[in-house]
Amino acid sequence: MRQAGLDLGSVNTKLVVLENGERVFSQVLPSRFDSVQAGITLLKAYVEEHGEKPEKLVVTGYGRVNFPEGRVITEITCQGKGCHAYFPDYAYILDLGGQDAKVIKKSAEGKIIQFIMNDKCAAGTGRFLDVILKGLDLTSEELDLATEAKPMPINSMCTVFAESEVITMLAKGIPKPEVIAGLFKSTAKRLANFVESVGHPECLIFTGGGAHYTLLVRFLERELKGNVVIPSEPELTAALGAALLA
Amino acid sequence: MDNRELWAALGMDLEKHDDFLAPVPAIFTSLFLDRPNRPKAMGYFDMIVGDVHGIRVHELYAMKEAGAKVFSTFCVYVPEEIVVATGSASIGLCAGAQYTVSSGEKVLPRNLCPLIKSTMGFKLDRICPYFQVSDWVIGETTCDGKKKAWEILNEHIPTYVMDLPQKKDSKDARLWEEEVREFASFIERETQVDLTTENLTSGIQKINNKRQALQRLANLRKHNPAPIHGLDVLLINQLSFFDDPVRFAAQVNALCDELDVRVKEGFGVAPVDAPRILVTGTPQPLPAWKLHALIEQAGAVVVGEETCTGERYYKNVTEPADNVSDMLANIAKRPLKVNCACFTPNQGRMEDISFMAENLKADAVIDFTLQFCQTYGVESYFVGKEMEKKKIPFLRLESDFSEEDQGQLLTRIEALIEMIRA
Repeated sequence: MRQAGLDLGSVNTKLVVLENGERVFSQVLPSRFDSVQAGITLLKAYVEEHGEKPEKLVVTGYGRVNFPEGRVITEITCQGKGCHAYFPDYAYILDLGGQDAKVIKKSAEGKIIQFIMNDKCAAGTGRFLDVILKGLDLTSEELDLATEAKPMPINSMCTVFAESEVITMLAKGIPKPEVIAGLFKSTAKRLANFVESVGHPECLIFTGGGAHYTLLVRFLERELKGNVVIPSEPELTAALGAALLA
Repeated sequence: MDNRELWAALGMDLEKHDDFLAPVPAIFTSLFLDRPNRPKAMGYFDMIVGDVHGIRVHELYAMKEAGAKVFSTFCVYVPEEIVVATGSASIGLCAGAQYTVSSGEKVLPRNLCPLIKSTMGFKLDRICPYFQVSDWVIGETTCDGKKKAWEILNEHIPTYVMDLPQKKDSKDARLWEEEVREFASFIERETQVDLTTENLTSGIQKINNKRQALQRLANLRKHNPAPIHGLDVLLINQLSFFDDPVRFAAQVNALCDELDVRVKEGFGVAPVDAPRILVTGTPQPLPAWKLHALIEQAGAVVVGEETCTGERYYKNVTEPADNVSDMLANIAKRPLKVNCACFTPNQGRMEDISFMAENLKADAVIDFTLQFCQTYGVESYFVGKEMEKKKIPFLRLESDFSEEDQGQLLTRIEALIEMIRA
């Protein structure tokens, strides 16, 4: 049996297909403000590669309600399911997506016990980091240097204010790596508080596109005084969960 | 006099008022009238909303012509039985419309509770006939935002402020009783009607009857399947603040009679396995229907409101007495058993929520806080802790009166429902 999970996110759309429980297809496509179209394209790509449509489909993510087919399940339930497949022993999940951040607590059986999502603004989301990092026009060397740099404190967490704070720092001649380190540190601090408003994990599962920022992960571990584990493709866990629920 | 003549006579901004009311019929039709299986007795309440700025305003206007006064209140602690005893009208005016928030922001900080901004905006814009027909606003000190906003509102309409204590010790009870007695003298002075054993007994009786009718309705919601949608009850709770109390109580009781039959026949508006939600926290004043509408759109049913547009409004009744002084003492006593987050400490509220969750067989609690409401926002910590202790699934939501965040709210509500059903 072929089970598909389609996660229609604000930044990227993701498809995972399982055949008899084995993952046979996974792909990410930028949503470009039309996640439904991206989802249709991904399903086509799967059919071209494997010949047949999946028998079961679950759609999730913010574009889920507009998708013409599939059973609809929220990204919270799917994320919990996908993460449980990777890490059945850890209870807490932090998901840093493009448009929101969420913390999910699951039971030993993988049932969701509690969850919170951030407010209706870009602060502390993947979008926040993207906007500011894009504005900095970084080279990979500068990113590497940030690992060793002394973090410059950034106090504003509103995307607009933080951007102007960063611009002011650069104008004052503060080296970019210090600013970047500061950006990740302040974001990590905010995310750690967010996690700790739900509980105190010894080991946190970190998913979503945000989990790719290694410096953010490092600061997050420091703030939480615990370990952070990341699935091999952290942006795919919700789609995987959707496929498992299909 | 037709509606427009009445509104003109009340000095309203007719053009803005038209603009404000224009979308209401379509919204009301899709949220309420189009839903199947509504009790027949909702017809009365639908009619009131259908002419929400007409029927009742004409009545109030006529009362004024006959020499009575209209007092606008903004809090469940203001003792309406005293006003009603004198033959004058007490109407609750908390506002829940996004439309007037921006006008409110002309004189109030942006980072303030939307309820206060909406209320202020209604007065500044002159688009609420209830405000326009009022002689006095009766404010109170349940939060700092309101407390200071009364000073500004007083520039536009005479505003009397009752000082509600912040603790529930005996000295606080004494202070509140004194406030109630002063308020009674103020009402006597303004209406030029003296309180007597007869008229105050009648005032207490009328308001008690209204509370008891609402209690009866609330208690019917413990049945499964739910005999009525939460959204319909919310509407009734919202209207309870400004309709004529005697007629209103009769209509609520008629509705309850119909629901009694539904319960007996096992007929409900939602399937037996629909998740049952208790809403706690800040009020949803008219026309704030968003939260209930989303919860029920997602397939759950709201079975109770531990809010001011719910349980806190009609909790308990005023005990009778045989003289005016004792009656005033009893009027002061009743609300001090009502647990608003403005009190500290407020363990009683946690007990209320736990009791309601159990009595109504709630599957989950949604604790709703209006943006920038400090008292309920902070107290949400204890609500969450209490629910964790009781192992009741719990979701904290924060919003305002705008429509833009419906998608985000719905995602959270749907996830909660999936969590209950898993």
